[in-house]
Amino acid sequence: MTAVIQTEKLTKHYGTHRGVIDVDLEINQGEIFGFLGPNGAGKTTTIRVLLDLIRPTSGVARVFDIATNEDPVAIHKRIGYVPGEFALYDRLTGKQTLEYFANLRGGVDQAYQKSLIERFDLDATRRFKEYSKGNKQKVGLIIALQHKPELLILDEPTSGLDPLVQQTFFTTLRDAVKAGATVFLSSHILSEVEKSCDRVAIIREGKIVQLDTVDGLRDLANHQVELRFAGEVPLSAFESLPGVSDVHADDHLLRLRVAGAITPIVRAAAQYELLDFVSREPSLEETFLAQYGNAAVEVK
Amino acid sequence: MTVSAGTPQQAAAAPFPAIPLRRRIYGFGSIFGKTMRDSRLAFIIAAGMFGGMSLVLGKAIAEIFPTELARQQVGALFGSIPAALNRLFANVDLLGNNVGTLGGYATYKYGMIFALGACLWSILALSGTLAGEARRGSLDFVAAAPFGKRRIGLEKLAAHLLLLWLALLILAGALTFASNAFGDIALGDAIGLDRSLGFAVWIGALAMFFGGLAFMLAPLLGRAGAAGVAGIAFAATWIINGLGVSPLYVLSPFAWTFNHVPLVGIFDWPSVALVAIIGVAFLAVGLELFQRRDMGVTVGLSLPRMPSLVLGTRGPTARAFGEQLPRALAWGIGTGVLGIVFASFAGVLADQIGGVSGISSTFNAIFPGIDLNTVGGWMQLYGELLFIATGFAGATLVAKWASDETDGRLGEILAAPVSRFRLVASSGIAALAAVLVITILFAAGIGIGALTTNLAAGDALLGTAALGLFAAAVVGIGFAVGGLWRASLAAEIAALFVVVTYLLGLVAPALNLPSWVANLALTNHYGQPMLGQWDAWGVIISIVLAVGGILVGAWGFSRRDAQD
Repeated sequence: MTAVIQTEKLTKHYGTHRGVIDVDLEINQGEIFGFLGPNGAGKTTTIRVLLDLIRPTSGVARVFDIATNEDPVAIHKRIGYVPGEFALYDRLTGKQTLEYFANLRGGVDQAYQKSLIERFDLDATRRFKEYSKGNKQKVGLIIALQHKPELLILDEPTSGLDPLVQQTFFTTLRDAVKAGATVFLSSHILSEVEKSCDRVAIIREGKIVQLDTVDGLRDLANHQVELRFAGEVPLSAFESLPGVSDVHADDHLLRLRVAGAITPIVRAAAQYELLDFVSREPSLEETFLAQYGNAAVEVK
Repeated sequence: MTVSAGTPQQAAAAPFPAIPLRRRIYGFGSIFGKTMRDSRLAFIIAAGMFGGMSLVLGKAIAEIFPTELARQQVGALFGSIPAALNRLFANVDLLGNNVGTLGGYATYKYGMIFALGACLWSILALSGTLAGEARRGSLDFVAAAPFGKRRIGLEKLAAHLLLLWLALLILAGALTFASNAFGDIALGDAIGLDRSLGFAVWIGALAMFFGGLAFMLAPLLGRAGAAGVAGIAFAATWIINGLGVSPLYVLSPFAWTFNHVPLVGIFDWPSVALVAIIGVAFLAVGLELFQRRDMGVTVGLSLPRMPSLVLGTRGPTARAFGEQLPRALAWGIGTGVLGIVFASFAGVLADQIGGVSGISSTFNAIFPGIDLNTVGGWMQLYGELLFIATGFAGATLVAKWASDETDGRLGEILAAPVSRFRLVASSGIAALAAVLVITILFAAGIGIGALTTNLAAGDALLGTAALGLFAAAVVGIGFAVGGLWRASLAAEIAALFVVVTYLLGLVAPALNLPSWVANLALTNHYGQPMLGQWDAWGVIISIVLAVGGILVGAWGFSRRDAQD
């Protein structure tokens, strides 16, 4: 697979303030890569280094195998970008704004631009300052998409969008990927990453603490298991099993949390008359909260 | 779509219709074109001011001083002014008798005003063209376009410089036209194009110098810091030259070009070239810093913070006052310093003018109704000249209030259980309190200056209240406009009121317009307050405008839609 984005030991400090530390990433062509982390974790810093808006303190970032600080123009020709926080030109209409950014790229396919405007249901005749937050975000998204870039770098792209437009956005994203584009998407909204991304990196306090497929990350989390017995709950038979924690008995119901494979639980349960067995797959959100809430992942 | 890393994709270079040249020059076809478009209002104002003032001063001088005798008296008048003051405006030694010509008079009285206008425009434009956009967040989008940062900076810079020089060409053309159309050739009024261009080039070089300084500092300090430092540098180097402060004198571009007096045919091109070259160097360093530094990351200036006590979190009036206080202090300290200077020189000037025969009558032609043989007369003159400053101070207080709505804070503020009427009224009271702070600081400056020269300045101290009343009236007008109509225009219309008032008061007598025209200016209705002679109408009108404007604004704002 061809790596579209690569970072090696990427570190950025703002004076004494931490930006990111030793970030290693490799994003392959055609994937939607989620970049998850709480506010201030270093997501935007990483993205701004990829665009050469800021320069790394140490380490290397490459986009399309080009070092970001060597030929940023060559990179910019092939990307579309939505910043996390932005403002555009208050007095220009949406159409004028799109026209300006299209012209900065030497023009775009007008039919495609129009289709994006229609798809996102944007009234392009209104001035930017008259737009709601969501409509401003739509303008930003269309600017990023209208020239059919090979790589989309999106910093919190769904901020301010209503659920219907979010759906439209992800559909558009998938279309772009089908056409060969790669997507690097930062977010702190876990459900959207879970639904849309192939792989996810979790960044915390400037360091990557997990990098895996969405399914792989889910596997890291504890399964919630509920067992309903016909007779009394055999508490002791389960408490000592490997990976089991938070064991609670309530009448005939046993609740427990299992890390890793649940085979030992199934085997132990088979020794008793069992009325019901429920194992719930954790959401990425639960995984994320488990990582942070229980400090299960140590920052190295 | 296919991708191969390291190879630009063909689709990126798809053959789209060419962007028309006119759109690249003016419009959305390029960064240069958009900067030209964004700067059009500033250009119209600057070119209009440069051209308009040139025409007005040509006409006015020819009308007021039509004879050789009158011109000689002008020359004697300027010769009598202390050297320390004269240097602030021009090289009077080189001007000599030419000060009585249109070119000499324009150099002395308006030269620095033109320079100040052009430099301020450049400082504001070049400190904000990149840093302001970076702070807002739109530069991220622009920087993600397929250009280097250097080219982005260069295109923005080129647009400003082109407009600056276009405006200066208009200035040169208007000066030459006015001198030939209105001036008296026999009295030496004719200003050839070579002379007016020499004047415009001097102003352009200074604008590039101080604008370039702001542009260079903007990537490091951000917009406000860069503009502040460049503005202080402008004022400091001007004063250093004017007062002949040695050895700092050598650092001032005004000192370098002191012997360049082109409107009377005296040129010193090497000095102008030096200023221009340093200006270009500043611009080049600024471009390089923008290219090399992290975008939008500035070091900032550690200015002292306001004490938490005056930040005002107890209620809407205290909060609004806390927001206005830094501006009030800045304006108050600025006018206060001027007050010290004015009061220090008033006695000297009154003695000198009174001792020179014929000069008083000449001055009366320029400033009718003011007796410049007296200290009080000079104080009154200063007061009248400062109406524009305190008027603009009032407009900036309106702008601060309006920013609640234009900057998007209003939603949060209105969500509080306080009526809209009370919110606006509270902000109005705070703005008037800020006007009071400005007035007190100005009066304090007058008092300090008077003390240093043992001057009796009791009337002048009370007379400063007239400036406060005018600023309060401006505040009332701004609040009425912002409350009734829209906040985004409140400060602009308040500032327009100040400019129109000032022009009516200054230009109408000079052009011999009917007295009712000059009397349209509110500032004509205070009497001579610095001499203790008050006109009650001015006071009443000001109070009505201030209080009534705020109440009308509060009423209007309670009824209209919030626009944030």
